[in-house]
Amino acid sequence: MKKTMIDYLLMAWFWSSGLLILVILLAIIVYLIWRGGAFVNLEFILESPSGFPLGTEGGIFPAIKGTLWLILLALVLSIVPGLMTAIYLSEYGRSGRLAAFISLLVQSMAGVPSIITGLFVYALGVVTLGWGISLLAGGLALAIMVFPVIVVSSRNALLAIDENYRLVASSLGVSKSYTLYRIILPRAIPGILAGILLALGYAAGATAPIMVTAAAIIASSSGALLEPVMALPYHLYILFTEHSSIHHAYATALVLVCLVLFLNILALSLSSLQERINR
Amino acid sequence: MNTVEFIDFSTFYGQKAVLRNINMKFTANSITAIIGPSGCGKTTLLRSINRTAELENGFNSRGDIRVLGQSINEYRNVSILRRRVGMVYQVPVALPLSIMENVLFGPKYYGVKNRSELEAITEKCLRRVALWDEVKDRLKRPASQLSGGQKQRLAIARALAVEPQLLLLDEPCSSLDPASTGMIEDLLTQLAEEITIIIVTHNLFQAKRISHETAFILEGRLIEKAPTNKLFESPEKPETQGFVSGLFG
Repeated sequence: MKKTMIDYLLMAWFWSSGLLILVILLAIIVYLIWRGGAFVNLEFILESPSGFPLGTEGGIFPAIKGTLWLILLALVLSIVPGLMTAIYLSEYGRSGRLAAFISLLVQSMAGVPSIITGLFVYALGVVTLGWGISLLAGGLALAIMVFPVIVVSSRNALLAIDENYRLVASSLGVSKSYTLYRIILPRAIPGILAGILLALGYAAGATAPIMVTAAAIIASSSGALLEPVMALPYHLYILFTEHSSIHHAYATALVLVCLVLFLNILALSLSSLQERINR
Repeated sequence: MNTVEFIDFSTFYGQKAVLRNINMKFTANSITAIIGPSGCGKTTLLRSINRTAELENGFNSRGDIRVLGQSINEYRNVSILRRRVGMVYQVPVALPLSIMENVLFGPKYYGVKNRSELEAITEKCLRRVALWDEVKDRLKRPASQLSGGQKQRLAIARALAVEPQLLLLDEPCSSLDPASTGMIEDLLTQLAEEITIIIVTHNLFQAKRISHETAFILEGRLIEKAPTNKLFESPEKPETQGFVSGLFG
């Protein structure tokens, strides 16, 4: 078939848009490597910050640990409600009114600015329930923030499974839960995991919700639920705003970007696995 | 002896009527073909019998269908009804499991655990659909590797594995080649000695070849139901005459 002029123009547009994004992304990474790469070494990864002002010497180990604790806790708190909501929307509620209402709620949640989520958890957890600035409060704030991401991506992964499987199973008189467990979930798991990893990457980089709930300038980040933690984005924010050490700020940014990139690449490879399964 | 009886049965999608006041009795242990132009309500009629039509949004019905003497709405648990009424769809569907697990999907759900019993069910059902010899060496392989015709016979085996007393087929051969179609037709003829079969088909030759009785549906109404030979050779209604001679296509 002969392509028309408009098709060529559109293709050129698609390619240049894609290249533009790629160039911006590469520019960020190359710039971070240029400015901070020399400072990222084993000591920087494995040591605690030191010097005066704090962070001018030493490393960022507690911040890496703190960020990992925060996203792990956010995952633990959001995965069950997120997955359950997604299963309800795709398998049980379908096009009913309750499902439509829940979808609307989830979409609204996705639109809440993350600083508002942070302040809400501050008021509820940190102050009212007396948790103080803590890992628990930060994990909860991040969990609320990523919940809609997990619901939407899991629901889409479930809905992408061939509708005929559900039809065949229901015409055998087989229950929805059995079909879900034998057929639907095993097929959808890579897609669901991909969505969860993307959500984790999103949580790892979020600063606003943890600023008021969990983050400290210096902490050991031992994993104790009711103690404050250090976190990569907050450490970066402090280093940058206090002008303590611009080199270490760039190095911290590089580590954070690499962590998020790693999570996203893992998510992408899982999604492509899911596409192969669906075919 | 009537296994399925429609009593003044009508269905609607929202406000739109699909089936209008159907009254009809199906004869046990025989094949009844349902014919009619596209969109006349054949599939809805079939799917009303095992209450899968109601899974569609906005579906509602009036009147009654009695399956094996019991009203479909009186079944306390719809899964009991659906277990008695097997269904095979237009598109051959292999569940994403092995060939054996496809056959055993229903039985395992209904609690059969004994290994030798499960193996016996697999062999019996695959033999009944003449698929055993083709797949007996690769029962553990994914069912997705089968051809379209094999998948459709597997779908019938899967439906038979829960021992239904009725088998509903919705244009089961429309995506198959003539050889596979022939195999399925032979198989249905044999199965009709034991169970009641209702088949929706757009292929008038197929209706003529395999069915004992034929029902002609037009715009949601039952126009005529008669022994197949009579319906094709000397229909009573002018609409039937028109359809079977190719006028409504």
